[in-house]
Amino acid sequence: MWRDAALVAGKDLRIEGRSRVALSQVAPFGIVALVLFAFALGPDRETMAKGAPGLFWVAVLFCTVLAIQRSVSVESSDGARDGLRLSGIDPAGLYLGKAVAVAAQLIVLEALLAVGVVLLYGAHIEVPWMIAVSCLLGTIGLAATGTLYGALSSGLRVRETLLPFLLLPIAAPVLLAGTRIWQAAMAGGTPSDGTQWLRLLVVFDAVYLAVGVVLFGPIQETA
Amino acid sequence: MTHDLTTTPLEGPAAAHPYSGAATNTRVSPPPSPSTTARRTEHIIGLLALVGTAATVWLGIWVTPPDKVQGDLVRLVYIHPGVAWVALYLAFGLAAVSTLLYLWPRTRSLFWDRLAAAAVEVGVIFNICTLVSGSIWGKPTWGVWWAWDARLTSTAVLLVLFLGYMALRRVPAEPEVRARRSAFVALFAAIDIPIIHFSVDWWNTLHQGATVLNANLSPTIHGSMAWTLLLGFVALTLVFVWMLLVRYRIGAIEDWLAANELDLALAERQAEGVAASRVASDPGPAGGSPTDRVGVA
Amino acid sequence: MRYVIAGYIFVLGLLALYAVALVWRRRRLVRAVARVTGPDVAVVVVGGNGSPGASTVAGAPVSTGATTPQAEAS
Repeated sequence: MWRDAALVAGKDLRIEGRSRVALSQVAPFGIVALVLFAFALGPDRETMAKGAPGLFWVAVLFCTVLAIQRSVSVESSDGARDGLRLSGIDPAGLYLGKAVAVAAQLIVLEALLAVGVVLLYGAHIEVPWMIAVSCLLGTIGLAATGTLYGALSSGLRVRETLLPFLLLPIAAPVLLAGTRIWQAAMAGGTPSDGTQWLRLLVVFDAVYLAVGVVLFGPIQETA
Repeated sequence: MTHDLTTTPLEGPAAAHPYSGAATNTRVSPPPSPSTTARRTEHIIGLLALVGTAATVWLGIWVTPPDKVQGDLVRLVYIHPGVAWVALYLAFGLAAVSTLLYLWPRTRSLFWDRLAAAAVEVGVIFNICTLVSGSIWGKPTWGVWWAWDARLTSTAVLLVLFLGYMALRRVPAEPEVRARRSAFVALFAAIDIPIIHFSVDWWNTLHQGATVLNANLSPTIHGSMAWTLLLGFVALTLVFVWMLLVRYRIGAIEDWLAANELDLALAERQAEGVAASRVASDPGPAGGSPTDRVGVA
Repeated sequence: MRYVIAGYIFVLGLLALYAVALVWRRRRLVRAVARVTGPDVAVVVVGGNGSPGASTVAGAPVSTGATTPQAEAS
Protein backbone atom coordinates (compact mmCIF):
# COMPACT_ATOMS: atom_id res chain seq x y z
CA MET A 1 0.00 0.00 0.00
CA TRP A 2 2.71 2.50 0.91
CA ARG A 3 4.69 1.76 -2.20
CA ASP A 4 1.62 2.30 -4.35
CA ALA A 5 0.86 5.49 -2.50
CA ALA A 6 4.34 6.78 -3.18
CA LEU A 7 4.01 5.87 -6.85
CA VAL A 8 0.72 7.69 -7.23
CA ALA A 9 1.81 10.71 -5.23
CA GLY A 10 4.95 10.93 -7.31
CA LYS A 11 2.94 10.73 -10.51
CA ASP A 12 0.52 13.46 -9.48
CA LEU A 13 3.26 15.74 -8.24
CA ARG A 14 5.28 15.21 -11.37
CA ILE A 15 2.24 16.13 -13.45
CA GLU A 16 1.87 19.23 -11.35
CA GLY A 17 5.53 19.99 -11.71
CA ARG A 18 5.26 19.87 -15.48
CA SER A 19 1.93 21.61 -15.92
CA ARG A 20 2.24 23.95 -12.94
CA VAL A 21 -1.51 24.42 -12.72
CA ALA A 22 -1.56 24.76 -8.95
CA LEU A 23 1.20 27.30 -9.04
CA SER A 24 0.00 29.33 -11.95
CA GLN A 25 -3.75 29.18 -11.47
CA VAL A 26 -4.76 28.14 -7.99
CA ALA A 27 -2.22 30.24 -6.14
CA PRO A 28 -3.14 33.46 -7.95
CA PHE A 29 -6.77 32.62 -7.30
CA GLY A 30 -5.97 32.45 -3.60
CA ILE A 31 -4.29 35.82 -3.72
CA VAL A 32 -7.23 37.26 -5.60
CA ALA A 33 -9.52 35.91 -2.90
CA LEU A 34 -7.46 37.64 -0.22
CA VAL A 35 -7.66 40.90 -2.12
CA LEU A 36 -11.42 40.57 -2.56
CA PHE A 37 -11.84 39.91 1.13
CA ALA A 38 -9.94 43.08 1.82
CA PHE A 39 -12.31 44.99 -0.42
CA ALA A 40 -15.25 43.37 1.34
CA LEU A 41 -14.11 44.14 4.86
CA GLY A 42 -13.09 47.67 4.26
CA PRO A 43 -9.84 49.48 4.72
CA ASP A 44 -9.86 49.39 8.52
CA ARG A 45 -6.76 47.38 9.37
CA GLU A 46 -8.02 46.33 12.73
CA THR A 47 -11.08 44.63 11.27
CA MET A 48 -8.93 42.86 8.76
CA ALA A 49 -6.42 41.74 11.34
CA LYS A 50 -9.24 40.33 13.43
CA GLY A 51 -10.76 38.58 10.48
CA ALA A 52 -7.45 37.31 9.14
CA PRO A 53 -7.67 33.77 10.57
CA GLY A 54 -11.10 33.13 9.14
CA LEU A 55 -10.32 34.70 5.82
CA PHE A 56 -7.16 32.66 5.53
CA TRP A 57 -9.04 29.42 6.04
CA VAL A 58 -11.86 30.35 3.70
CA ALA A 59 -9.32 31.10 1.01
CA VAL A 60 -7.69 27.73 1.75
CA LEU A 61 -11.05 26.00 1.38
CA PHE A 62 -11.62 27.57 -2.03
CA CYS A 63 -8.14 26.55 -3.12
CA THR A 64 -8.83 23.03 -1.85
CA VAL A 65 -11.88 22.74 -4.07
CA LEU A 66 -9.82 23.78 -7.08
CA ALA A 67 -6.98 21.46 -6.16
CA ILE A 68 -9.36 18.51 -5.80
CA GLN A 69 -11.02 19.27 -9.11
CA ARG A 70 -7.60 19.31 -10.69
CA SER A 71 -6.60 16.09 -8.99
CA VAL A 72 -9.69 14.35 -10.35
CA SER A 73 -9.58 15.79 -13.85
CA VAL A 74 -5.97 14.70 -14.32
CA GLU A 75 -7.26 11.19 -14.79
CA SER A 76 -10.47 11.84 -16.64
CA SER A 77 -9.07 11.59 -20.14
CA ASP A 78 -7.92 8.61 -22.17
CA GLY A 79 -9.39 6.12 -19.77
CA ALA A 80 -6.63 6.85 -17.31
CA ARG A 81 -8.88 6.09 -14.38
CA ASP A 82 -9.77 2.68 -15.68
CA GLY A 83 -6.13 2.12 -16.40
CA LEU A 84 -5.29 2.85 -12.80
CA ARG A 85 -7.89 0.43 -11.56
CA LEU A 86 -6.82 -2.30 -13.91
CA SER A 87 -3.17 -1.85 -13.06
CA GLY A 88 -3.71 -3.60 -9.80
CA ILE A 89 -2.76 -0.67 -7.64
CA ASP A 90 -4.06 -1.08 -4.14
CA PRO A 91 -7.07 1.27 -3.85
CA ALA A 92 -5.98 2.36 -0.39
CA GLY A 93 -2.58 3.20 -1.82
CA LEU A 94 -4.18 5.12 -4.66
CA TYR A 95 -6.23 7.06 -2.13
CA LEU A 96 -3.29 7.92 0.06
CA GLY A 97 -1.13 8.81 -2.90
CA LYS A 98 -3.65 11.25 -4.32
CA ALA A 99 -4.35 12.69 -0.89
CA VAL A 100 -0.64 13.23 -0.26
CA ALA A 101 -0.21 14.94 -3.60
CA VAL A 102 -3.14 17.27 -2.89
CA ALA A 103 -1.82 17.91 0.60
CA ALA A 104 1.60 18.82 -0.70
CA GLN A 105 0.14 21.34 -3.10
CA LEU A 106 -2.09 22.75 -0.39
CA ILE A 107 0.82 23.20 2.02
CA VAL A 108 2.67 25.28 -0.51
CA LEU A 109 -0.46 27.31 -1.20
CA GLU A 110 -1.04 27.83 2.50
CA ALA A 111 2.48 29.07 3.03
CA LEU A 112 1.88 31.58 0.29
CA LEU A 113 -1.49 32.63 1.69
CA ALA A 114 -0.12 32.89 5.21
CA VAL A 115 2.54 35.30 4.03
CA GLY A 116 -0.14 37.18 2.15
CA VAL A 117 -2.34 37.41 5.21
CA VAL A 118 0.47 38.69 7.39
CA LEU A 119 1.46 41.28 4.84
CA LEU A 120 -1.93 42.37 3.59
CA TYR A 121 -3.98 42.24 6.76
CA GLY A 122 -1.36 43.09 9.29
CA ALA A 123 -1.88 39.91 11.26
CA HIS A 124 0.54 39.41 14.17
CA ILE A 125 1.50 35.82 14.81
CA GLU A 126 2.74 35.09 18.32
CA VAL A 127 2.93 31.30 18.43
CA PRO A 128 4.24 30.24 15.05
CA TRP A 129 4.49 26.53 15.81
CA MET A 130 0.75 26.43 16.46
CA ILE A 131 0.09 28.09 13.14
CA ALA A 132 2.29 25.59 11.37
CA VAL A 133 0.78 22.56 13.08
CA SER A 134 -2.74 23.76 12.46
CA CYS A 135 -1.98 24.20 8.80
CA LEU A 136 -0.49 20.74 8.61
CA LEU A 137 -3.37 19.03 10.38
CA GLY A 138 -5.96 21.06 8.55
CA THR A 139 -4.38 20.23 5.23
CA ILE A 140 -4.43 16.53 6.00
CA GLY A 141 -8.13 16.75 6.84
CA LEU A 142 -8.96 18.71 3.71
CA ALA A 143 -6.95 16.41 1.49
CA ALA A 144 -8.49 13.31 3.07
CA THR A 145 -12.10 14.42 2.67
CA GLY A 146 -11.48 16.15 -0.63
CA THR A 147 -9.96 13.09 -2.28
CA LEU A 148 -12.91 11.02 -1.09
CA TYR A 149 -15.50 13.36 -2.50
CA GLY A 150 -13.47 13.85 -5.62
CA ALA A 151 -13.59 10.13 -6.25
CA LEU A 152 -17.29 10.01 -5.50
CA SER A 153 -18.06 12.71 -8.02
CA SER A 154 -15.40 11.85 -10.56
CA GLY A 155 -17.74 10.36 -13.11
CA LEU A 156 -20.35 13.05 -12.98
CA ARG A 157 -20.71 15.75 -15.55
CA VAL A 158 -22.02 18.11 -12.89
CA ARG A 159 -18.90 17.61 -10.83
CA GLU A 160 -17.86 21.26 -10.98
CA THR A 161 -20.98 22.46 -9.22
CA LEU A 162 -21.66 19.44 -7.08
CA LEU A 163 -18.25 18.89 -5.54
CA PRO A 164 -18.05 22.18 -3.63
CA PHE A 165 -21.59 21.75 -2.42
CA LEU A 166 -20.84 18.30 -1.07
CA LEU A 167 -17.36 18.91 0.25
CA LEU A 168 -17.53 22.25 2.01
CA PRO A 169 -20.09 21.39 4.70
CA ILE A 170 -18.06 18.33 5.57
CA ALA A 171 -14.93 20.45 5.78
CA ALA A 172 -16.60 22.92 8.14
CA PRO A 173 -14.90 21.52 11.26
CA VAL A 174 -11.51 22.22 9.69
CA LEU A 175 -12.56 25.79 9.10
CA LEU A 176 -13.85 26.16 12.63
CA ALA A 177 -10.83 24.56 14.23
CA GLY A 178 -8.29 26.26 12.00
CA THR A 179 -9.76 29.68 12.64
CA ARG A 180 -9.87 29.14 16.37
CA ILE A 181 -6.30 27.91 16.50
CA TRP A 182 -5.05 30.84 14.51
CA GLN A 183 -6.94 33.23 16.76
CA ALA A 184 -5.36 31.58 19.77
CA ALA A 185 -1.92 31.86 18.20
CA MET A 186 -2.16 35.51 17.31
CA ALA A 187 -1.71 38.64 19.32
CA GLY A 188 -4.43 38.88 21.92
CA GLY A 189 -5.34 35.21 21.90
CA THR A 190 -4.96 32.55 24.54
CA PRO A 191 -2.78 29.73 23.25
CA SER A 192 -4.27 27.17 25.58
CA ASP A 193 -7.59 27.48 23.75
CA GLY A 194 -5.85 26.35 20.63
CA THR A 195 -4.72 22.99 21.93
CA GLN A 196 -8.12 21.41 22.24
CA TRP A 197 -8.95 22.46 18.72
CA LEU A 198 -5.74 20.82 17.59
CA ARG A 199 -6.98 17.64 19.21
CA LEU A 200 -10.25 17.95 17.31
CA LEU A 201 -8.31 18.25 14.07
CA VAL A 202 -6.36 15.12 14.91
CA VAL A 203 -9.59 13.20 15.48
CA PHE A 204 -11.11 14.55 12.28
CA ASP A 205 -8.04 13.62 10.26
CA ALA A 206 -7.84 10.15 11.76
CA VAL A 207 -11.50 9.41 11.14
CA TYR A 208 -11.56 10.50 7.53
CA LEU A 209 -8.23 8.96 6.63
CA ALA A 210 -9.46 5.67 8.02
CA VAL A 211 -12.75 5.97 6.16
CA GLY A 212 -10.91 6.79 2.96
CA VAL A 213 -8.43 3.95 3.19
CA VAL A 214 -11.21 1.46 3.79
CA LEU A 215 -13.86 2.74 1.40
CA PHE A 216 -11.89 4.14 -1.52
CA GLY A 217 -11.99 0.83 -3.33
CA PRO A 218 -15.77 0.44 -3.24
CA ILE A 219 -16.22 4.09 -4.12
CA GLN A 220 -14.10 3.73 -7.21
CA GLU A 221 -16.33 0.99 -8.44
CA THR A 222 -19.30 3.30 -8.23
CA ALA A 223 -17.93 6.13 -10.25
CA MET B 1 -41.91 -5.56 -3.26
CA THR B 2 -39.06 -7.50 -4.73
CA HIS B 3 -39.86 -7.46 -8.37
CA ASP B 4 -37.08 -7.90 -10.78
CA LEU B 5 -36.80 -5.08 -13.20
CA THR B 6 -35.31 -6.98 -16.08
CA THR B 7 -37.39 -7.66 -19.12
CA THR B 8 -37.11 -10.50 -21.56
CA PRO B 9 -37.50 -9.81 -25.23
CA LEU B 10 -40.10 -11.38 -27.42
CA GLU B 11 -40.28 -15.03 -26.63
CA GLY B 12 -42.72 -17.63 -25.50
CA PRO B 13 -46.38 -17.86 -26.32
CA ALA B 14 -46.56 -14.82 -28.50
CA ALA B 15 -49.38 -14.74 -30.94
CA ALA B 16 -48.24 -13.80 -34.40
CA HIS B 17 -49.89 -10.54 -35.11
CA PRO B 18 -52.40 -10.78 -37.96
CA TYR B 19 -51.42 -7.48 -39.49
CA SER B 20 -47.75 -7.07 -39.04
CA GLY B 21 -46.87 -10.69 -39.15
CA ALA B 22 -44.64 -10.36 -36.12
CA ALA B 23 -45.23 -10.98 -32.48
CA THR B 24 -45.90 -7.79 -30.65
CA ASN B 25 -45.60 -8.82 -27.08
CA THR B 26 -43.19 -7.15 -24.76
CA ARG B 27 -42.82 -8.67 -21.37
CA VAL B 28 -42.51 -6.35 -18.46
CA SER B 29 -42.52 -7.05 -14.77
CA PRO B 30 -45.50 -5.68 -12.92
CA PRO B 31 -45.56 -2.07 -11.92
CA PRO B 32 -45.39 -1.50 -8.20
CA SER B 33 -48.87 -1.48 -6.77
CA PRO B 34 -49.78 -1.39 -3.12
CA SER B 35 -51.97 -4.06 -1.64
CA THR B 36 -55.36 -3.11 -0.27
CA THR B 37 -54.13 -3.36 3.30
CA ALA B 38 -51.21 -1.11 2.50
CA ARG B 39 -53.55 1.39 0.93
CA ARG B 40 -55.92 1.26 3.85
CA THR B 41 -53.09 1.69 6.36
CA GLU B 42 -51.86 4.70 4.49
CA HIS B 43 -55.33 6.23 4.51
CA ILE B 44 -55.74 5.62 8.20
CA ILE B 45 -52.37 7.11 9.02
CA GLY B 46 -53.11 10.10 6.85
CA LEU B 47 -56.45 10.63 8.53
CA LEU B 48 -54.99 10.33 12.02
CA ALA B 49 -52.20 12.70 11.07
CA LEU B 50 -54.68 15.26 9.83
CA VAL B 51 -56.93 14.96 12.86
CA GLY B 52 -53.99 15.03 15.24
CA THR B 53 -52.48 18.10 13.65
CA ALA B 54 -55.82 19.91 13.64
CA ALA B 55 -56.31 19.02 17.27
CA THR B 56 -52.83 20.25 18.14
CA VAL B 57 -53.49 23.54 16.43
CA TRP B 58 -56.83 23.97 18.13
CA LEU B 59 -55.45 23.10 21.54
CA GLY B 60 -52.28 25.03 20.99
CA ILE B 61 -53.80 28.26 19.87
CA TRP B 62 -57.09 28.41 21.70
CA VAL B 63 -57.44 25.99 24.55
CA THR B 64 -54.16 26.13 26.38
CA PRO B 65 -53.32 29.10 28.58
CA PRO B 66 -50.37 31.38 27.93
CA ASP B 67 -47.18 30.60 29.80
CA LYS B 68 -46.16 32.59 32.86
CA VAL B 69 -42.73 33.31 31.48
CA GLN B 70 -43.09 33.18 27.72
CA GLY B 71 -46.66 34.31 27.34
CA ASP B 72 -48.28 33.39 24.08
CA LEU B 73 -44.95 32.44 22.53
CA VAL B 74 -45.14 29.11 24.28
CA ARG B 75 -47.72 28.11 21.70
CA LEU B 76 -44.95 27.72 19.17
CA VAL B 77 -43.42 25.17 21.49
CA TYR B 78 -46.24 22.81 20.61
CA ILE B 79 -45.03 22.43 17.06
CA HIS B 80 -41.39 23.44 17.00
CA PRO B 81 -39.94 20.54 19.05
CA GLY B 82 -42.25 18.22 17.11
CA VAL B 83 -40.92 19.19 13.70
CA ALA B 84 -37.39 19.33 15.10
CA TRP B 85 -37.61 15.81 16.47
CA VAL B 86 -38.90 14.56 13.13
CA ALA B 87 -36.27 16.35 11.06
CA LEU B 88 -33.22 15.81 13.21
CA TYR B 89 -33.82 12.40 14.70
CA LEU B 90 -36.58 10.56 12.91
CA ALA B 91 -35.78 11.49 9.31
CA PHE B 92 -32.04 11.64 9.72
CA GLY B 93 -31.95 8.50 11.85
CA LEU B 94 -34.10 6.58 9.43
CA ALA B 95 -31.98 7.71 6.49
CA ALA B 96 -28.79 6.72 8.31
CA VAL B 97 -30.11 3.29 9.32
CA SER B 98 -31.52 2.63 5.85
CA THR B 99 -28.21 3.62 4.28
CA LEU B 100 -26.33 1.24 6.54
CA LEU B 101 -28.77 -1.54 5.75
CA TYR B 102 -28.27 -0.88 2.07
CA LEU B 103 -24.48 -0.93 2.37
CA TRP B 104 -24.47 -4.10 4.47
CA PRO B 105 -24.20 -6.92 1.93
CA ARG B 106 -26.58 -9.26 3.68
CA THR B 107 -29.45 -6.79 3.75
CA ARG B 108 -28.70 -4.99 0.53
CA SER B 109 -31.86 -4.14 -1.34
CA LEU B 110 -32.99 -1.14 -3.32
CA PHE B 111 -35.85 -0.89 -0.85
CA TRP B 112 -33.51 0.60 1.74
CA ASP B 113 -32.04 3.00 -0.75
CA ARG B 114 -35.48 4.25 -1.75
CA LEU B 115 -36.53 4.51 1.86
CA ALA B 116 -33.47 6.59 2.66
CA ALA B 117 -34.16 8.89 -0.26
CA ALA B 118 -37.77 9.34 0.80
CA ALA B 119 -36.75 10.00 4.39
CA VAL B 120 -34.23 12.63 3.30
CA GLU B 121 -36.66 14.49 1.08
CA VAL B 122 -39.39 14.61 3.71
CA GLY B 123 -36.70 15.45 6.23
CA VAL B 124 -35.73 18.53 4.23
CA ILE B 125 -39.27 19.87 4.51
CA PHE B 126 -39.39 19.28 8.24
CA ASN B 127 -35.91 20.76 8.62
CA ILE B 128 -37.03 23.97 6.96
CA CYS B 129 -40.05 24.02 9.26
CA THR B 130 -37.72 23.58 12.22
CA LEU B 131 -35.42 26.40 11.26
CA VAL B 132 -38.21 28.82 10.44
CA SER B 133 -40.38 28.05 13.47
CA GLY B 134 -37.30 28.25 15.68
CA SER B 135 -36.28 31.52 14.13
CA ILE B 136 -39.76 32.98 14.56
CA TRP B 137 -39.75 31.90 18.18
CA GLY B 138 -36.27 33.28 18.65
CA LYS B 139 -36.93 36.78 17.43
CA PRO B 140 -39.20 37.92 20.25
CA THR B 141 -37.43 35.73 22.79
CA TRP B 142 -33.77 36.46 22.14
CA GLY B 143 -34.19 39.50 19.98
CA VAL B 144 -32.46 37.95 16.98
CA TRP B 145 -33.70 35.99 14.00
CA TRP B 146 -30.74 33.69 14.16
CA ALA B 147 -28.12 32.61 16.67
CA TRP B 148 -25.03 30.59 16.04
CA ASP B 149 -25.51 28.12 18.83
CA ALA B 150 -24.72 24.46 18.35
CA ARG B 151 -28.24 23.22 17.81
CA LEU B 152 -29.35 25.78 15.25
CA THR B 153 -26.09 25.62 13.36
CA SER B 154 -26.07 21.83 13.26
CA THR B 155 -29.62 21.88 11.99
CA ALA B 156 -28.65 24.26 9.22
CA VAL B 157 -25.65 22.13 8.29
CA LEU B 158 -27.85 19.04 8.26
CA LEU B 159 -30.17 20.82 5.84
CA VAL B 160 -27.29 21.58 3.52
CA LEU B 161 -26.08 17.99 3.70
CA PHE B 162 -29.58 16.70 2.95
CA LEU B 163 -29.82 19.02 -0.05
CA GLY B 164 -26.45 17.78 -1.27
CA TYR B 165 -27.71 14.22 -1.03
CA MET B 166 -30.79 15.10 -3.06
CA ALA B 167 -28.73 16.92 -5.65
CA LEU B 168 -26.51 13.88 -6.06
CA ARG B 169 -29.53 11.62 -6.52
CA ARG B 170 -30.82 13.74 -9.34
CA VAL B 171 -27.83 12.81 -11.47
CA PRO B 172 -29.09 10.18 -13.89
CA ALA B 173 -27.64 6.75 -13.28
CA GLU B 174 -28.51 3.11 -12.90
CA PRO B 175 -30.46 2.54 -9.68
CA GLU B 176 -27.67 0.48 -8.11
CA VAL B 177 -24.97 3.02 -8.98
CA ARG B 178 -27.09 5.87 -7.74
CA ALA B 179 -27.87 3.97 -4.58
CA ARG B 180 -24.20 3.31 -3.82
CA ARG B 181 -23.15 6.85 -4.50
CA SER B 182 -25.90 8.26 -2.32
CA ALA B 183 -25.13 5.75 0.39
CA PHE B 184 -21.48 6.82 0.57
CA VAL B 185 -22.38 10.48 0.67
CA ALA B 186 -24.92 9.78 3.40
CA LEU B 187 -22.34 7.79 5.34
CA PHE B 188 -19.73 10.55 5.21
CA ALA B 189 -22.30 13.13 6.18
CA ALA B 190 -23.51 11.04 9.09
CA ILE B 191 -19.94 10.69 10.34
CA ASP B 192 -19.44 14.41 10.17
CA ILE B 193 -22.61 15.49 11.94
CA PRO B 194 -21.43 14.69 15.47
CA ILE B 195 -18.05 16.31 14.76
CA ILE B 196 -19.73 19.44 13.49
CA HIS B 197 -22.11 19.59 16.42
CA PHE B 198 -19.24 19.17 18.83
CA SER B 199 -17.11 21.81 17.14
CA VAL B 200 -19.88 24.37 16.97
CA ASP B 201 -20.63 23.79 20.62
CA TRP B 202 -17.02 24.46 21.54
CA TRP B 203 -16.89 27.33 19.16
CA ASN B 204 -19.67 29.01 21.04
CA THR B 205 -18.70 28.34 24.61
CA LEU B 206 -15.05 29.21 24.16
CA HIS B 207 -15.66 32.43 22.37
CA GLN B 208 -15.23 35.25 24.80
CA GLY B 209 -18.35 37.25 25.31
CA ALA B 210 -20.81 34.91 23.69
CA THR B 211 -24.15 34.77 25.36
CA VAL B 212 -25.10 31.24 26.15
CA LEU B 213 -28.46 30.91 24.50
CA ASN B 214 -30.65 28.50 26.25
CA ALA B 215 -33.42 26.91 24.29
CA ASN B 216 -34.95 25.21 27.25
CA LEU B 217 -38.51 25.62 28.31
CA SER B 218 -39.53 26.34 31.85
CA PRO B 219 -38.79 23.12 33.69
CA THR B 220 -42.30 22.50 34.90
CA ILE B 221 -44.80 22.25 32.10
CA HIS B 222 -48.02 20.83 33.30
CA GLY B 223 -51.58 20.12 32.55
CA SER B 224 -53.07 20.82 29.18
CA MET B 225 -49.78 22.20 27.90
CA ALA B 226 -47.98 18.92 28.46
CA TRP B 227 -50.70 16.98 26.71
CA THR B 228 -50.73 19.36 23.78
CA LEU B 229 -46.97 19.09 23.46
CA LEU B 230 -47.23 15.31 23.42
CA LEU B 231 -50.04 15.42 20.90
CA GLY B 232 -47.93 17.67 18.72
CA PHE B 233 -45.12 15.15 18.71
CA VAL B 234 -47.44 12.28 17.86
CA ALA B 235 -49.36 14.16 15.19
CA LEU B 236 -46.24 15.40 13.42
CA THR B 237 -44.69 11.95 13.57
CA LEU B 238 -47.79 10.59 11.86
CA VAL B 239 -47.54 13.31 9.25
CA PHE B 240 -43.97 12.24 8.60
CA VAL B 241 -44.92 8.59 8.29
CA TRP B 242 -47.71 9.36 5.84
CA MET B 243 -45.45 11.56 3.73
CA LEU B 244 -42.77 8.90 3.83
CA LEU B 245 -45.16 6.26 2.52
CA VAL B 246 -46.36 8.44 -0.35
CA ARG B 247 -42.86 9.60 -1.22
CA TYR B 248 -41.60 6.02 -1.19
CA ARG B 249 -44.34 4.98 -3.57
CA ILE B 250 -43.44 7.86 -5.87
CA GLY B 251 -39.81 6.74 -5.92
CA ALA B 252 -40.76 3.15 -6.65
CA ILE B 253 -42.98 4.07 -9.56
CA GLU B 254 -40.42 6.47 -10.99
CA ASP B 255 -37.80 3.75 -10.85
CA TRP B 256 -40.11 1.28 -12.54
CA LEU B 257 -40.92 3.71 -15.33
CA ALA B 258 -37.27 4.55 -15.82
CA ALA B 259 -36.21 0.93 -15.87
CA ASN B 260 -38.83 -0.12 -18.34
CA GLU B 261 -39.15 2.98 -20.40
CA LEU B 262 -37.45 1.57 -23.44
CA ASP B 263 -39.65 -1.49 -23.55
CA LEU B 264 -42.76 0.50 -22.83
CA ALA B 265 -41.95 2.97 -25.56
CA LEU B 266 -41.35 0.13 -28.00
CA ALA B 267 -44.64 -1.43 -27.08
CA GLU B 268 -46.40 1.87 -27.60
CA ARG B 269 -44.84 2.36 -31.01
CA GLN B 270 -45.82 -1.15 -31.99
CA ALA B 271 -49.37 -0.58 -30.83
CA GLU B 272 -49.50 2.63 -32.81
CA GLY B 273 -48.19 0.88 -35.90
CA VAL B 274 -50.73 -1.86 -35.52
CA ALA B 275 -53.58 0.54 -35.01
CA ALA B 276 -52.51 2.57 -38.02
CA SER B 277 -52.36 -0.49 -40.24
CA ARG B 278 -55.69 -1.62 -38.86
CA VAL B 279 -57.27 1.70 -39.72
CA ALA B 280 -55.72 1.60 -43.17
CA SER B 281 -57.03 -1.88 -44.00
CA ASP B 282 -60.35 -1.56 -42.29
CA PRO B 283 -61.89 1.90 -42.49
CA GLY B 284 -64.49 2.65 -39.92
CA PRO B 285 -64.60 3.57 -36.26
CA ALA B 286 -61.59 1.99 -34.71
CA GLY B 287 -61.53 1.46 -31.04
CA GLY B 288 -59.14 3.35 -28.87
CA SER B 289 -56.44 4.31 -31.29
CA PRO B 290 -53.33 5.17 -29.40
CA THR B 291 -51.92 7.38 -32.10
CA ASP B 292 -52.65 10.46 -30.11
CA ARG B 293 -51.06 8.95 -27.07
CA VAL B 294 -48.51 11.04 -25.32
CA GLY B 295 -45.19 9.35 -24.63
CA VAL B 296 -44.24 7.64 -21.45
CA ALA B 297 -43.95 10.05 -18.57
CA MET C 1 -49.14 36.60 19.23
CA ARG C 2 -48.70 37.47 15.62
CA TYR C 3 -45.37 35.64 15.74
CA VAL C 4 -47.24 32.55 16.82
CA ILE C 5 -49.73 32.85 14.02
CA ALA C 6 -46.98 33.46 11.49
CA GLY C 7 -45.12 30.40 12.73
CA TYR C 8 -48.16 28.15 12.56
CA ILE C 9 -49.13 29.40 9.12
CA PHE C 10 -45.66 28.80 7.76
CA VAL C 11 -45.21 25.31 9.17
CA LEU C 12 -48.70 24.07 8.44
CA GLY C 13 -48.72 25.76 5.08
CA LEU C 14 -45.43 24.22 4.01
CA LEU C 15 -46.49 20.78 5.19
CA ALA C 16 -49.83 21.11 3.42
CA LEU C 17 -48.22 22.28 0.19
CA TYR C 18 -45.75 19.44 0.25
CA ALA C 19 -48.49 16.93 0.98
CA VAL C 20 -50.50 18.19 -1.98
CA ALA C 21 -47.40 18.07 -4.17
CA LEU C 22 -46.75 14.46 -3.15
CA VAL C 23 -50.27 13.37 -3.88
CA TRP C 24 -50.22 15.14 -7.22
CA ARG C 25 -46.90 13.58 -8.21
CA ARG C 26 -48.11 10.14 -7.30
CA ARG C 27 -51.35 10.56 -9.19
CA ARG C 28 -49.49 11.69 -12.29
CA LEU C 29 -47.13 8.73 -12.09
CA VAL C 30 -49.92 6.23 -11.55
CA ARG C 31 -51.70 7.62 -14.58
CA ALA C 32 -48.51 7.28 -16.58
CA VAL C 33 -48.22 3.65 -15.57
CA ALA C 34 -51.86 3.00 -16.43
CA ARG C 35 -51.41 4.62 -19.79
CA VAL C 36 -48.50 2.43 -20.76
CA THR C 37 -49.93 -0.82 -19.46
CA GLY C 38 -53.52 -0.14 -20.39
CA PRO C 39 -55.74 -2.14 -22.72
CA ASP C 40 -54.47 -0.83 -26.03
CA VAL C 41 -50.82 -1.41 -25.55
CA ALA C 42 -49.25 -4.69 -26.53
CA VAL C 43 -47.52 -5.24 -23.25
CA VAL C 44 -47.69 -8.41 -21.28
CA VAL C 45 -47.07 -8.05 -17.62
CA VAL C 46 -45.20 -11.04 -16.32
CA GLY C 47 -45.05 -12.11 -12.75
CA GLY C 48 -47.02 -10.72 -9.91
CA ASN C 49 -49.80 -13.28 -9.73
CA GLY C 50 -47.78 -15.97 -11.40
CA SER C 51 -49.55 -16.51 -14.68
CA PRO C 52 -47.97 -14.62 -17.55
CA GLY C 53 -51.33 -13.56 -18.84
CA ALA C 54 -52.73 -13.70 -22.31
CA SER C 55 -50.69 -12.57 -25.24
CA THR C 56 -52.33 -9.56 -26.70
CA VAL C 57 -53.62 -8.45 -29.97
CA ALA C 58 -53.85 -4.71 -30.23
CA GLY C 59 -57.30 -3.59 -29.33
CA ALA C 60 -58.07 -6.39 -26.94
CA PRO C 61 -57.71 -5.62 -23.25
CA VAL C 62 -54.85 -7.23 -21.41
CA SER C 63 -56.38 -9.46 -18.84
CA THR C 64 -53.91 -10.00 -16.08
CA GLY C 65 -54.68 -9.10 -12.56
CA ALA C 66 -51.56 -7.10 -12.08
CA THR C 67 -52.32 -4.58 -14.74
CA THR C 68 -55.60 -3.18 -13.53
CA PRO C 69 -55.21 0.51 -14.07
CA GLN C 70 -54.92 2.26 -10.81
CA ALA C 71 -56.55 5.52 -11.57
CA GLU C 72 -57.92 5.81 -8.09
CA ALA C 73 -54.93 4.41 -6.31
CA SER C 74 -54.39 6.33 -3.15
